[in-house]
Amino acid sequence: MNRTLARLITYGFLAVMVVFNLVPFFWMLSTSLKTGPEAYAIPPTWWPLNPTLYEGYGKVLLWTNFPRYFLNSLVVSLGAALLSTAVGALAGYGFSRFFFRGRTFLIGVLLASQMLPGVLLVGPYFKMLARIGLYNSYLGLIAAFTTLTLPFSAWMLKGFVDTVPHELDEAALIDGCCRRQAFLRVVLPLITPGMVATLIFAFLLAWGDLLWVLCLTSTDSMATVTLGLSRLVTQFRVLWPQLMAGSVIAVFPPMILYLILQKYLVQGLTGGAVKG
Amino acid sequence: MNAVPLTKSKGRGCLGRRGSPPSSLHRRHTRQGLAFILPCFVLLGLVLGFPMVVAFVNSFTPLWSRGLSGFTIDYYRRLLQDPIFLNSLVRTVYFVGATVALHLVLGLGMALVLNSAIRARRLFRIVALLPWTVPDVVAGLVWGWMYDPLSGILNDALLRLGVIASPIEWLATPSLVMPSVILADVWRGYPFVMLVLLAGLQAIPKEEYEAAKVDGANAFQEFFHVTLPHLGRMIAIATILDVIWQARRFGLIWVMTEGGPARSTEILSVLAYRQYFKFFNFEYASAMAVVLALILVVVGLPYVRAVARRA
Amino acid sequence: MKSRWCRVVGIVALMCALVAPAATAQRVKIVLSNWHLVEPHWEKSIKEAVAEFMVRYPNIEVVLDYVSYAEKETKYMTAIEAGVGPDVMHLGPAEISFGLFATRGYFRDLTPFIQAEAAGFLDAWYPGVVDALSHEGKVYGLGNNYQAMVLMWNKRLFAEAGLDPERPPQTWEELLDYAKKLTRDRDGDGRIDTWGLGMVGRVDPGFQLRFTPILFGFGATYLSADYRCAAINTAAAKEAVKFFVDLFVTHGVVPPGVTDMTPGKVREQFAAEKIAMKITSAWGPPIVKSIRPDVDWDNIIGIAPVPVKAGTNPEIRTTAFLSYYAMNRNTKNPKESWELLKFLTSKEAQEKWFRDARVLSARRDVSQQYQLILDDPYAKVIGAELSRAAMVPMIPEWPQIIEAINVAVQKGLLGQPVDPAWRDAYLQINDILAGRRRAGERCPAY
Repeated sequence: MNRTLARLITYGFLAVMVVFNLVPFFWMLSTSLKTGPEAYAIPPTWWPLNPTLYEGYGKVLLWTNFPRYFLNSLVVSLGAALLSTAVGALAGYGFSRFFFRGRTFLIGVLLASQMLPGVLLVGPYFKMLARIGLYNSYLGLIAAFTTLTLPFSAWMLKGFVDTVPHELDEAALIDGCCRRQAFLRVVLPLITPGMVATLIFAFLLAWGDLLWVLCLTSTDSMATVTLGLSRLVTQFRVLWPQLMAGSVIAVFPPMILYLILQKYLVQGLTGGAVKG
Repeated sequence: MNAVPLTKSKGRGCLGRRGSPPSSLHRRHTRQGLAFILPCFVLLGLVLGFPMVVAFVNSFTPLWSRGLSGFTIDYYRRLLQDPIFLNSLVRTVYFVGATVALHLVLGLGMALVLNSAIRARRLFRIVALLPWTVPDVVAGLVWGWMYDPLSGILNDALLRLGVIASPIEWLATPSLVMPSVILADVWRGYPFVMLVLLAGLQAIPKEEYEAAKVDGANAFQEFFHVTLPHLGRMIAIATILDVIWQARRFGLIWVMTEGGPARSTEILSVLAYRQYFKFFNFEYASAMAVVLALILVVVGLPYVRAVARRA
Repeated sequence: MKSRWCRVVGIVALMCALVAPAATAQRVKIVLSNWHLVEPHWEKSIKEAVAEFMVRYPNIEVVLDYVSYAEKETKYMTAIEAGVGPDVMHLGPAEISFGLFATRGYFRDLTPFIQAEAAGFLDAWYPGVVDALSHEGKVYGLGNNYQAMVLMWNKRLFAEAGLDPERPPQTWEELLDYAKKLTRDRDGDGRIDTWGLGMVGRVDPGFQLRFTPILFGFGATYLSADYRCAAINTAAAKEAVKFFVDLFVTHGVVPPGVTDMTPGKVREQFAAEKIAMKITSAWGPPIVKSIRPDVDWDNIIGIAPVPVKAGTNPEIRTTAFLSYYAMNRNTKNPKESWELLKFLTSKEAQEKWFRDARVLSARRDVSQQYQLILDDPYAKVIGAELSRAAMVPMIPEWPQIIEAINVAVQKGLLGQPVDPAWRDAYLQINDILAGRRRAGERCPAY
């Protein structure tokens, strides 16, 4: 009796959550296949009556600068993810293996830096970028996204390096390797799953940002997917099939990345990263 | 990986080679460690540190037009008397509190379910994590469209089920708009908490449960005496990270409501953005952002200290 | 032997590479940023105009930059503060940007260029437009679009509701009466699916243009004549805002979700025939047509002056939308930018703009003389209304002031008592204007 009740509760909860999780995706897909007037039908149709790819996907790709936004998002998110993972791995190793004075303080600074809200930084940052001519450039955006991702990347990777036994790199040092080699040849291969997890995580953070792109780009050719979508809403017409088609496209890369690499992500997070 | 640690002189070759004189060992150790973390802190200093200092100074003086003259705390004084700011502060606390609490509840529930013996666990785990891959701007768009009073799926479903008699204006009813925005955010945000807690659950030794069973504990006792104590730290970490992220949330609210209607969803990040980039009140906006940053740092400090000490 | 060839080829290639930029360096590149580029039929027209310009000025290459309507002011201000930005930009409604940008020195002064042109260069524009685009004696912008806000109605829905499809409402009271009849269940499923009036209620640049006609039409204004205090404490202003809010709250002749409605969404509702009337201007009908090209809109859409309060005949009953081209203070090629500015606002280009976009010009030698405009059933109404339209104050504080008004109206639309919200807005606007008052000078009580 008790068991059945527990099962009932478990599966009931699961069913509700699955619906909750999936309905927005369903609505996104369904609307993206509708024509303009059908999207505005009262009451709405759940399945598109005459599914069309042109109204949503066709127009958003042909009419708007969406392909360019997509490319921009890809470049800056990948750039930021790679940069923060690389730099983060170094810092993670440094924090994990060396016990120097001020280490605790520096770790504190690293963690505390996550607490600075974007709105505080974005104004002065844009003036700074302007001074050095990086305003409205990939490099400026990548650097900005790194603020979002680096503290977390470094911290996660420190956790991963912690899981690699000290004896391994000490053995390498005794064998005549230097620190750099010990890091590159011994530790790095062992924390690859962690690096992948960090990479996805940083990519997701950067891909989803709106505030920084909104403030740090001036031309349309530098806009990202999130910015492009947020603009479509306030344009002279609100074309839901296009917007939803754009959304589907915007969700695609992080989702694919996640589905392929989710094993690493979960393993990475269980690998000590968030345990601190 | 071409990001090799930056040691200043290449000529000296590898640091920390075997057989160096022990007297300088400690200093070299420090230097090596610093060399590894240097790139990270140079980047942070440039991208975070410098703008932070500038913003801080800017909140006291119109930096860009008059240099450092005209230092004043007027902007902070004005903040304390500005009902728009104070209301926004309260609203931010509400938004952050509610979203974090719901992330935790749903995250914990889902983690427990996924950690139990259910069918197709792998599939459900993927489904559970899917929303987390959606950028918050897209989440705002999609939920905004689901909430559409006339053509949205939510009202239609409720009407068909007979739960409501006439369409509800989710984003245009003062008492409903904040909960609606919160729900959209919960959808996107809870999977991360779930992931962290799931990791925590899987790390609990099986023997503890067996021991509890031997002692005749029921499911609830098991949960409170074994699961929760073990999960405590993970919950603390997930909570603090989530608080920080939620307090900085911008894109979701920006595309859903832009802080409206009638400021009912205008959290601090939105208000400061508007003051800075729409009305160009740089100093006032900076003061707001500094207050937000201070609150976050104060809230987060115990966590930072605890974690940094242990690390 | 082989390596020498390589060297020769290399040197030749290097020389080409060095010479090539020198050859193209004479071609000056200037950036034109224009929100009109995001709407397909506008984009086409602008691209054609710019192509024509480049044929005439082969030494100038114009690069087009797309910017969104709601964001353009932020974008330009950020870019200009940063020392960059487009050379030529298109801004509007003028009230949102002009005062702010001119006082902050974001524009390049156009006066020297104008003085170098033939005498009477500016006479082609409406005098009010030239005044509006001048600041402290200097001209900073050339007027582009200029048109009165009017009422657009759907004749088919009027006929279905038993109203005379050719007779739009003349007074606001009549409009309410019509709207009640138009708000109904057309498909017979027991749910209302068509409403009388569409309304912009979101905090949005489009709000000002659609709310001001009612405020003005009731004989009220926003600010005192010297811009030192708010003036929305008059009986007329209170009556206007009450009327506006009641259309939705009391009478329900506006579709739900009004506080979330942007002009784009309201336009979609009109195109989907969910609403029968809306306030718009000349850009309205073409966009509606392009949303649903399959409908015979020419016989469905009517354009008329906005109503007035019953029993009155106010001199000013609507507001005007003015957009303008201006030059970035950071431009490195002012001469070429001026040529582009001049070309885009020339009689010829403005006439083409009307043909393609059906939008009226700030040049009176176009809007008052171009035969196509005089013959166009919509344009002639909109042009004639200009004489009864007024702009809102062109001061740097305006964006904040209109936001305060917008929020107060939203509170009303959300069902909260209008008067306290309106009073809050009044006090808030007085706060915003505090810097304009002398020490100790106070505004009248609400």
